Amino acid sequence: MDSVSFSVERGTIHALVGENGAGKSTLIKILAGIYQRDEGEIIFDGKSVSFGTPHESQMSGFSVVHQEMKLSETLSVAENIFLGNLVYRHGLVDWKTMKEKALALLAMLGIDINVNQPVNELSVAKKQMVEICKALNHNCKLLVMDEPSASLTEREQTIMFATIRKLKAVGVTIVYISHRLEEIFDLADNVTVLRDGQKIDTLPVSEVDRKKLISLMVGRDLVSEYPKEQFTPGEVVLEVKNLNRANVLHNISFTARKGEILAFAGLVGSGRTEVARAILGIDKIDSGEIIYKGRRVRHKEFNRAISNGFGLVPEDRKSQGLILIHSVSENICMVNIGKIIKRGVVSSKLEQMYSDDFVKKLHIVTPSLSAEVQYLSGGNQQKVVIAKWLMQDSDIIFFDEPTRGIDVGAKVEIYRLINGLVREGKVIIMISSELPEILGISDRIIVMHDGAISGELMRQEATQEKIISMCV
Amino acid sequence: MRRDITSFLRLTSEKSTKQALTLQVRFGRLTKNYAIVIAILLLGIIFSCATPDFLTFLNIRNIFQQTTAIGIVTIGQAFVLLTGQFDLSLGQNVMVTSCLAAWLIKFEGCNPWVAVFMAIIAGILIGITNGYLISYIRIPCFIATLGLQMICMGLGRIITNASPIPGMPSTISVFGTALIGGVKYGIPTGVLIMLGLYIIFIFVSRKTKLGRNFYAMGGGQEAAYFAGIDVKKYRVLVYSLAGGLAALGGIVLLSRLDSAAVTSGNAYEFDSIIASIIGGISLSGGKGKIAQAFLGVIFLTLFFNGMTMLNVHPFIQNVLKGAVLIFAVGIDVLRNKGR
Repeated sequence: MDSVSFSVERGTIHALVGENGAGKSTLIKILAGIYQRDEGEIIFDGKSVSFGTPHESQMSGFSVVHQEMKLSETLSVAENIFLGNLVYRHGLVDWKTMKEKALALLAMLGIDINVNQPVNELSVAKKQMVEICKALNHNCKLLVMDEPSASLTEREQTIMFATIRKLKAVGVTIVYISHRLEEIFDLADNVTVLRDGQKIDTLPVSEVDRKKLISLMVGRDLVSEYPKEQFTPGEVVLEVKNLNRANVLHNISFTARKGEILAFAGLVGSGRTEVARAILGIDKIDSGEIIYKGRRVRHKEFNRAISNGFGLVPEDRKSQGLILIHSVSENICMVNIGKIIKRGVVSSKLEQMYSDDFVKKLHIVTPSLSAEVQYLSGGNQQKVVIAKWLMQDSDIIFFDEPTRGIDVGAKVEIYRLINGLVREGKVIIMISSELPEILGISDRIIVMHDGAISGELMRQEATQEKIISMCV
Repeated sequence: MRRDITSFLRLTSEKSTKQALTLQVRFGRLTKNYAIVIAILLLGIIFSCATPDFLTFLNIRNIFQQTTAIGIVTIGQAFVLLTGQFDLSLGQNVMVTSCLAAWLIKFEGCNPWVAVFMAIIAGILIGITNGYLISYIRIPCFIATLGLQMICMGLGRIITNASPIPGMPSTISVFGTALIGGVKYGIPTGVLIMLGLYIIFIFVSRKTKLGRNFYAMGGGQEAAYFAGIDVKKYRVLVYSLAGGLAALGGIVLLSRLDSAAVTSGNAYEFDSIIASIIGGISLSGGKGKIAQAFLGVIFLTLFFNGMTMLNVHPFIQNVLKGAVLIFAVGIDVLRNKGR
């Protein structure tokens, strides 16, 4: 990070945006007292402050709600709110006062949570509320929120936004970090753009539009966020008839064609991922038929589906898609390891050859083939996941949230890749929570609600409003 | 402090960061892979200065001879560690299988070759049980292998009535004490068996589908599953491999001691974990080399051999063993923190 200066006015919501690696997290970690600055000053309430530890930062009225929760899962809501700040009476823990205070805090934010409930029984959104209450209880004046909406459902987001506005109303200053630009226009007063560890600009949100903001973030004009190519859909490759799984999926029927991108829209928990899992043999099916290339198939195990030509770019790239501590080439060759084995022996030469080929084809930016994938950016990591299925030469690939946590610039590359696959005649089924993405690159959209299909739209007729009305 | 520097670098420039990172990683790998070699050389120098008998052919042969059983057990343990788990039943597996072989030979009049075969089958069965309990019943590896450890401990006592079975037929010496190449400068068969197994399994770990899938499971069990690897099957395979190798270790031990007793293989489950980790295999799985486990075993044996020659009291040796383990892992943790 290099000479970043910006100021935040009291009682405003200040958004911080930038691509991965732009320096947002570092900035926050400095504010939170986790990292130390080399130079510069933090002026808070007119006084120059300096934090050596997270505790010092908290004492001065800074609080950070991290992406990953920092709660004690098995303790109650009240205990978590008072963690590190317990109230004592006659030398003993004063539960009564703490519970009353916790209740008062929750009531102030208009949230209905039982203070005696263990935190692990709460939804992600409610956990975040508890986290916010914990910050408020530490007498927080400036609250930093790091991608708080990343794992929330649409409804939960609405609740959280309302909470944030209430905080603003009581005079708490908020620094809000998010990849989702819509939220920034919805919520923030001002926005600061960071790129490559430098501040690019601070602007009132009312004075910028989406396109301007993106070009500030990326550093160039993006021709199009969603490069869409026109294809002529071919024959039906996959046909699913009345797929059922007790309490999860109800009478799912659809077809997927060669040369098209079929998208599954719906709220988190509506059963989109579960459809993929059932078809791929990861979850059991109670009844229903899957017809693939004219043949009835029923996958008992996921690896059966793989040998049948199915592939999956999973939702959680870091734990399901990749082995972070292994190299780029090991990850690429993980699925189709048979291709690099000659007479029972792994050939390093073939491994290098194939990996190098994919690294070049997909423009994967990596220091070397032997670099561990954990050091790659999100976009490049996702390309490694895709390369696994290209090496396997899968005919039908499920993409579950293909661009989650990926920069705007890298997203476009992923879309181009997907387009390229369709051009080659692959069947692409994409599950996504990002409506603009669905509208931007898919050909046909299936909307799910509560484990059932609630509607199907062609790209031409689809709008955000139509999809949302089918989601709820 | 070090973290600050990396984060600073990461922000100054994309390109230089990547170079700096790989250099750092490379340096880290270099020191990590060779730290154990340096430690072994240092020990060797210290001990040969301290006692003139240390650097003699007889003593070196003796050290290797002492390494054989634990060395073979460590191969299996290292594989289990690579898959992200550990096996606490290996020590008692060594004990029960060597007792079983001795009992079959001495009291059932069994052909020694058949007895050895039966012992190895028993070892594999113990491993299969471990693997099945862990992957299909989903019992944590700590509990499953601890349970098997106790079962083996009890079975060994039942078989032998807790009294040693000495005096093995000459066939058994083929597995350990027989010298290849003359009495004076011959190499014991046990050492050759161990070295041969290391060569085979270093190859298996790096160059076969089996080995690669073990690494993948240890690096990320979920990711391995989502790459189509039959994780449950490979889990059973790794435990049966470890079980079979432990039984073979038991036979080599039987040959070296010329007797089976309920004290055989005592604490081997921990010694094999300690050796693997000192060598550089990650306790969380997916990282490390079988060759490193070998160096770890050599280091441990060297350490105790030297200590004994210097007349260090066995109780103090125990204290030092613990200290060395904590020191080795401590260095590793500090190094990883730096990244």
